Amino acid sequence: MADIFGGFKEYSVAEFFKKNRQMLGFSGKVRSLTTIVHEYVTNSLDAAGEARMHPELEVWVEEVEKNERYKVRVKDNGPGIPENILGKALGMMLAGTKFHRYVQQRGQQGIGAAGCTMYSLISTGQPISVVSRHKGKKVSCKLGIDFKKNKPVLTDVVREDCGPEEHGLDVEGVFADTKYEKGGYGVGEYLKRTAIANPHATIIFNSPEGDRFVYPKSVERLPEKAEEVKPHPLGVGANDLLDIAKAAKGYTRLSAMLQNEFTRVSLNKVKELRDLVPDVNLDMSPSRLTWDDAEKLVVGFRKVKWIAPATDSVIPIGKEQIEKSLVNILNPELVYVTSRPPKIYRGGIPFVVEVGIAYGGDINKEGKGGVVMRFANRAPLLFDAGGCAITQTAKSVEWKRYEIKKFDEEPVAILVNLASVHVPYTSAGKQSVSSEDDVVEEIKNALMEAGRHVQKHLSGKRREREKSTKKKAILRYVGQISGDLAELAGEEKSKKEIEAELQKMISERFE
Amino acid sequence: MGEKETIEKLEGLGRKMVGQVKEKKSPTFETPLRSRGNIEYDNAVGFLRLGDKREERRFLNVAQARTFMQTVAVANKTKKFLIEDLHTSIRGLYYQLKFSLGENLDESLFEEQTESNALIEDLEVAMGIKREDLHLTTDRKGVVAGNMIVKDNFAGEEITINCAKQGRSGWMIPSDVDNGMEFVDVKADYVLVVEKDALWQRLNEDKFWKKDNCILITPKGQASRGTRRLIRRLADKGIPVYVFTDCDAWGWYIYWTIKTGSMNLAYLGRDFSIPEARFLGVTMADIEKFGFLKKLTIKAKPIDIKRAEEMMSYPWISAHPEWVKELKKVVKEKRKIEQDALQGKKLTFVGEYIRKKINNKEWLP
Repeated sequence: MADIFGGFKEYSVAEFFKKNRQMLGFSGKVRSLTTIVHEYVTNSLDAAGEARMHPELEVWVEEVEKNERYKVRVKDNGPGIPENILGKALGMMLAGTKFHRYVQQRGQQGIGAAGCTMYSLISTGQPISVVSRHKGKKVSCKLGIDFKKNKPVLTDVVREDCGPEEHGLDVEGVFADTKYEKGGYGVGEYLKRTAIANPHATIIFNSPEGDRFVYPKSVERLPEKAEEVKPHPLGVGANDLLDIAKAAKGYTRLSAMLQNEFTRVSLNKVKELRDLVPDVNLDMSPSRLTWDDAEKLVVGFRKVKWIAPATDSVIPIGKEQIEKSLVNILNPELVYVTSRPPKIYRGGIPFVVEVGIAYGGDINKEGKGGVVMRFANRAPLLFDAGGCAITQTAKSVEWKRYEIKKFDEEPVAILVNLASVHVPYTSAGKQSVSSEDDVVEEIKNALMEAGRHVQKHLSGKRREREKSTKKKAILRYVGQISGDLAELAGEEKSKKEIEAELQKMISERFE
Repeated sequence: MGEKETIEKLEGLGRKMVGQVKEKKSPTFETPLRSRGNIEYDNAVGFLRLGDKREERRFLNVAQARTFMQTVAVANKTKKFLIEDLHTSIRGLYYQLKFSLGENLDESLFEEQTESNALIEDLEVAMGIKREDLHLTTDRKGVVAGNMIVKDNFAGEEITINCAKQGRSGWMIPSDVDNGMEFVDVKADYVLVVEKDALWQRLNEDKFWKKDNCILITPKGQASRGTRRLIRRLADKGIPVYVFTDCDAWGWYIYWTIKTGSMNLAYLGRDFSIPEARFLGVTMADIEKFGFLKKLTIKAKPIDIKRAEEMMSYPWISAHPEWVKELKKVVKEKRKIEQDALQGKKLTFVGEYIRKKINNKEWLP
């Protein structure tokens, strides 16, 4: 992120964007379209979350030119955005409200909706259309960006009054170099998974084929609001440290900045750092921090024995919520969701792994089994599955042990949500989780816990089946043996009685 | 065992099981194990028999339900045979019970005869009754001649058979010598069991049984159940039993089966073994004793040697040093000799040989 930030000073934003579009998630036609939807949907969910309301959003994807150009519209019921910050929110790179805030959030990259605006401008030359209803005011406009100044440009502005009950943002843009796909990387799957991870939200998707998918909310309780926490020294990289140093105002000394901007950094710990990293002058101004210094400091951070950060900053989706949402959306025969306490990775970063497993029912109606749905802080991870610790760990589990004989063919869907203020992504694309030992182990344990539960269910079912076969097997002999027994005993009259008793015994024993 | 008693035993089994059902318990059937591990040789009694290991079978056990049903079917069917006073072979029984369990069921009460054969043995051993008592016949094998009168109550008719007046063919030993058979007059100093029919015919032609006042029997190889029972019944009258076979492991084992019973039929125990039987020959020692025999030996095949070695491993045989000596000779010299070879010098030598052996008490235990 330091590169992105620093990049602004040297290149025009457009040029920067073109050079770095891959990093921002705009690589490949299918992925670009999903990224655009992701940015808008994320903003909508976060906005509703901050306003403590149930998000209701509707997404339209329309084909303008097949496999080339698509129109995307996202409408939400959030608080809307007032006109004075509308441009900043949607038309200024890295100006999102969440950048530099250490809150457990979905996107974390802050490229957000402004990135989409830019993509639209670069790929089609068209600004995006926005309608914002906020506190009784309705603003409609076209929104573009002046690349040279990195400033938003609002045109065709129409201001109206509206009722206070009308609120929300409605954004629409046309994006070229995109492609709509039905499969696992497409917008449809992305929204379905988003709905699964956000059972408090209602999500509607109108596909280019004219299908309408409705995922109604399945829980009333809103997710807990993520608390803003200061970063922990173990949770930052050199780039993060540089960002913080550049954004921090009013510090004459780096040491003071560390103590105030980070959690668990005391005067004593600063002293320890001075000894551990003598090359870096902790008395200099934070603005003079270089990449080299930042790297050395991060290495130093790892050597200090820190008090772990508070674990209450980690907010899982919740056992009950995931259960309801898996039932609601996948309609399986069995659902089990783990509920595990927070763990720590890299010696100090708290995280929670949630695993939900759904088996049978409607799951492999389309004939494909063994789906692993990855999430980081509720955001679905669709791409780079191969390199992701979640996928790798899920594949490494011996599902056979849990009565799932062929994972890839059976009607089983697994949800893994990794919740943490610092999700260890493998790259800036933020689509896969890196193989941190503690994280991998916890994912594995959670998967096995879920596996054991499925095993119990499946072996119970198998036993039932076996019992019923056994029952049938013995029952077919009852007629013959009853007649023979009665005759053998010289009690021909008791045949019926013997038969009834035997049938009763068998039914009771093999029920 | 009388027929009434057998019927009573079978009904008792049925009543026990019906009682269990009425008490809401699975019917059970207890039987001694017939596996090798439960076969023991009792030196005190001198025959092979089953040990104390027993198994309990339950109808309400999926693995045993079918067999259980079949066992009851066999018991009931044989009870009917007894009541109707009809006999059949075990194959006849199998066909009586080979029917479908139901119109829509692709399963018969019995599919293979081997299924019913095993169950007959189960019933015999569990109930302490012989298959002959269940009116199940076995193939007849074995012929007898001698001063013996038998009354045979058969098919509603009583026939008197004089075994001294059967001419060249002798009286064929029936499969059941117990039910409906009465030995009214037996006059004999001993019983002579001759392995081969050819030698029996030789001795019959020589009027050997008349001259020596013995009962001459040939089992024609391994003794059938009926032949073993006949020898047993004669021995029960206090008549000594001598056995005369080929000089090889196979012939000797015919003797041992008569004497101690066999592993397969160990469950039959005393009723089918004659521990007091003695072995006359032919022995390896005879080859030395009777010079002409030396030239009449045959080379023993590897399988003969193997069998001899096996016999040495049986504790009831290896307990006798005389037998170990004989068997070791077979293994060492790799020769064997047929009892027919005794006719090599002159045909009537066979009789002389037997007389000499008995008079000089030249037998093996």
